[in-house]
Amino acid sequence: MKVAIIAANGGMFDAYKVFNIATAAAATDAEVGIFFTFEGLNLIHKEGHKNLPMPAGTEHFQEGFKKANVPPVEELVSMATEMGVKMIACQMTMDVMSLEKEQFVEGIDVGGAVTFLTFAKDADVTLTF
Amino acid sequence: MDVNKVLDAKGLACPMPIVKTKKEMTTLEPGQVMEIQATDKGSTADLKAWAQSTGNQYLGTVEDGDTLKHYLRKASAEEEKEESKHPHVMNLGDLQNKIEGNEKITILDVREPAEYAFGHIPGAITIPLGELEKRFEELNKDDELHIICRTGSRSDLAAQQLTEKGFKDVKNVVPGMKEWTGDVNQKH
Repeated sequence: MKVAIIAANGGMFDAYKVFNIATAAAATDAEVGIFFTFEGLNLIHKEGHKNLPMPAGTEHFQEGFKKANVPPVEELVSMATEMGVKMIACQMTMDVMSLEKEQFVEGIDVGGAVTFLTFAKDADVTLTF
Repeated sequence: MDVNKVLDAKGLACPMPIVKTKKEMTTLEPGQVMEIQATDKGSTADLKAWAQSTGNQYLGTVEDGDTLKHYLRKASAEEEKEESKHPHVMNLGDLQNKIEGNEKITILDVREPAEYAFGHIPGAITIPLGELEKRFEELNKDDELHIICRTGSRSDLAAQQLTEKGFKDVKNVVPGMKEWTGDVNQKH
């Protein structure tokens, strides 16, 4: 199985959607690639991903996350890396936002739209978050 | 239940039970059984699906208070091979007819204890293949023995082993519990 994911949003809920599917797929022997673009870059930003915003008015879910023992985003990111999930940061967005590769978590690649398309062209599952 | 490994995934939310299972599974030998303890209610459906996509065998789940105990058996490529060496085989239909007949028959199930627990032919004796070498004396050498496993592969080895020990009338039941549609008992 091959899973291609586009992460285009930068909230905490988005992070869970992206990384839960990605780690579950990797654990099921899938080849997984995520393309981080626009706000999605927050999810792999060294400091940013540790403190992602919750959608306005949902702050009370904070407690629910704790109660359900949901791992912090940080842990999911390092788990995804460890399991060989391929993470590509969008070069164009980085240029627009003046971001450098060093500002992102270890192990990511930087690439353009075609890098992702080449990975995604024979994927079995394609998702956008 | 007798298993090779117990994984404690209690209190963990999705996808952690799956991620941990994947990791622990690599430490098991093919054919070994793992018990996964989880409290995530979605884990039953997830582990079933996971086993199916990864080619491992989902045996079943037991509820123990709030804890779900899932049983998985690591895939073994050997077993899926159709090759068998023991010359005397019996198909499932003939076995079913014999069970329905009046004669008392002896069935030996050589799968792992957890596999046996989640469904076996009523009255079948359980001795896992790995224990047969030291437990074969529990069986009667003069009985007509019907040996069964999941696919007919382990039972083939068991049939050869017992014939070597001097058992006179040993039949390998094929293909095995995987396709058995008759009555089953559960015990766990």
